Amino acid sequence: MRLATRVVAVCLLGLATLLLGRAGAVPEGRIGSDARAEGLVLARCGTCHSTDLIMQQRLDRPRWQATVGKMIHWGAELSDEEADLLVEFLAARFHPTASGLVPLSEIGEAEPLQAEPLSMQERPNGVAQQGAALFATNCQACHGAGAGGGFGPKLAGNPILHAEASFWETVLYGRGSMPAWEHGLSRQDIADIQAWLKTL
Amino acid sequence: MVYQARLVEVVVMSSSGESLVREASVAPAMSRRTLLGRIIQGLGLSLVLSPAIPVVQAREQVVEISETDRLIVRVARPLDAETPVQEFVSFLTPNSRFFVRSHFGPPPQEQHSEENWRLRVTGLVDRPLTLTLDDLKQFETVTITAVVQCSGNGRALYRPKTPGVQWERGAVGNARWTGVRLLDVLRRAGLQTNGLHVQFQGADRPVAATVPLFVRSIPVEKALHPDTILAYEMNGRPLSLLHGAPLRVVTPGWMADSCIKWLTDITVQQDEAQGYYMQTAYRYPTRQVTLGETIALDDLKPVEAMIVKSLIAQPQAGAVLVSGPVMIQGVAWTGEGRIAGVDVSLDEGRTWAQARLIGEDQPYGWRQWQYIWEATTAGPRTILCRATDDRGNRQPERSPWNPGGFLWNGWDRVSVTVAG
Ligand code: HEC
Ligand code: HEC
Repeated sequence: MRLATRVVAVCLLGLATLLLGRAGAVPEGRIGSDARAEGLVLARCGTCHSTDLIMQQRLDRPRWQATVGKMIHWGAELSDEEADLLVEFLAARFHPTASGLVPLSEIGEAEPLQAEPLSMQERPNGVAQQGAALFATNCQACHGAGAGGGFGPKLAGNPILHAEASFWETVLYGRGSMPAWEHGLSRQDIADIQAWLKTL
Repeated sequence: MVYQARLVEVVVMSSSGESLVREASVAPAMSRRTLLGRIIQGLGLSLVLSPAIPVVQAREQVVEISETDRLIVRVARPLDAETPVQEFVSFLTPNSRFFVRSHFGPPPQEQHSEENWRLRVTGLVDRPLTLTLDDLKQFETVTITAVVQCSGNGRALYRPKTPGVQWERGAVGNARWTGVRLLDVLRRAGLQTNGLHVQFQGADRPVAATVPLFVRSIPVEKALHPDTILAYEMNGRPLSLLHGAPLRVVTPGWMADSCIKWLTDITVQQDEAQGYYMQTAYRYPTRQVTLGETIALDDLKPVEAMIVKSLIAQPQAGAVLVSGPVMIQGVAWTGEGRIAGVDVSLDEGRTWAQARLIGEDQPYGWRQWQYIWEATTAGPRTILCRATDDRGNRQPERSPWNPGGFLWNGWDRVSVTVAG
């Protein structure tokens, strides 16, 4: 009974947070499934401990799989399909090289974080002319026409365009409400968008 | 109990960083010191954190933690929070700044209030006991100064990362613990010769009954050591709820996974405690391992004694220093030996200079140390420290990786800038 009430409460507020966070046009597809996964994290994982415990982890897929399995064993209510979705989401969002919660200033020097998400060789050369249309379809809803900013920050003239590792990490794996595009766009698509953004 | 729950600032000084589920938006206008009214057991941080979200009517237990002044919250519920290392300039860590580790959070008031609370001693004993706090206080009182450190302290510094609370440096503290000897209590109960392990259980319970209980045991030799105590006071004040009121175990020289809080049950048995928290968690490989490797159970042993370690408390990371003499100070401690020396390096470990040990020298306490550095060259610098104990153990540059992320004791490092 108590648990049930709590779950409902968590769901409701979780939803509110998600909705607030996502005001504005939300494109279909990948983002939709992320939103569902986020909802599951709040509703099903937030019952025994706050979700900050989850977000501070930086684990690879096998260890996310093991962790989610352990939580189900302990009572987390997830169907097999939901569990798969969650593992997918957690492994893409909170992977070993994702930035965030742990300040890098003190730790980074002890030993650099693992390899960059994608080596320079694997980053194709972008074609700016292709990028405009790709941007309009996939990014404009949040980053505004001409990448001038909207729900997401202004990307035109944004220094991150030249910080290769950060740009690729953000676009591939997402950050905050910024969705991950690892599975939604090809490397070439991303390179094209980046090339076009640099021309603005 | 119905409370109007409005948590002002939980992620007090938490490290920067985005939050995926957009739940940790800290109210920047709040002073860091007005701190937390209350933590709501069983409610998500998301519900209560943002002042923009209307006040939530929560039919939940509310724990007063106004006492936890200036802690870095790692997990809001159940509360895991560490001390900012700059606090470690004092020999004793104040109760309100002492790190908090909870597996399930404090038990409800009904259970830990002194009238209702009982300590049961059962198992392989001649005379099972049920003691009130007053009964317990009839045993001889002892006070021991001891470092208590979470075995996961420093977990965030391991690469590759390991799962668990991402503690950085401050899940440790030094306090004076007052209570009675476990030895005396076990003698009164009449320990039987086949009793080889002493199991502890507290009154804390998980939200769901499917979660394993936090049950741990220590070998009888440690239990019978005259310095192993059942403590009801911390730094001269009654134990607070977050630190295990009314009674907790303190195993000086050992990691805090043996220091069970909210203690209600002591069971003497032939074998180690069973269950997740003894047989799976808090275990450490006896040989070098790598990520992904399968480790035989025989190659894992429980985390017990602490190992030699030191921290730089001042200057703080990121400090901009005026060129001239700079006082570097910190603390150093070890498990069952004593600290023999602390070295400081200002050239990434190529050369080391001896720091001066200062202050109180207590068997299980930490040693304070200081070193004066003539900071002349402007620019960024990294300060390193490493301690050595009287058994010849010295802090390594980084600790051997282990899957639980336990026992980190790599050189401590703080980066500063000397102004031109
Ligand atoms: C039935 C209660 C429960 C639910 C539901 C739950 N957890 Fe946990 N979780 C726990 C407990 C208990 C721990 C260990 C806490 C401790 O020892 O401090 C834990 C710890 C963790 C940890 C830290 C690493 C570790 O292994 O200790 C992560 C990460 C985690 N949970 C993720 C999740 C995720 C993701 C979900 C949702 C799929 C979830 N949890 C749902 C009970 C739960
Ligand atoms: C659902 C909305 C949304 C969509 C769609 C979206 N973004 Fe974002 N993006 C954001 C938000 C919000 C941020 C800020 C994230 C944060 O820091 O919390 C962001 C941040 C970024 C950043 C980092 C900017 C910086 O200054 O750090 C880059 C680069 C970026 N997005 C690129 C893209 C690209 C390329 C696409 C299309 C392939 C895209 N985004 C699609 C919402 C979106």
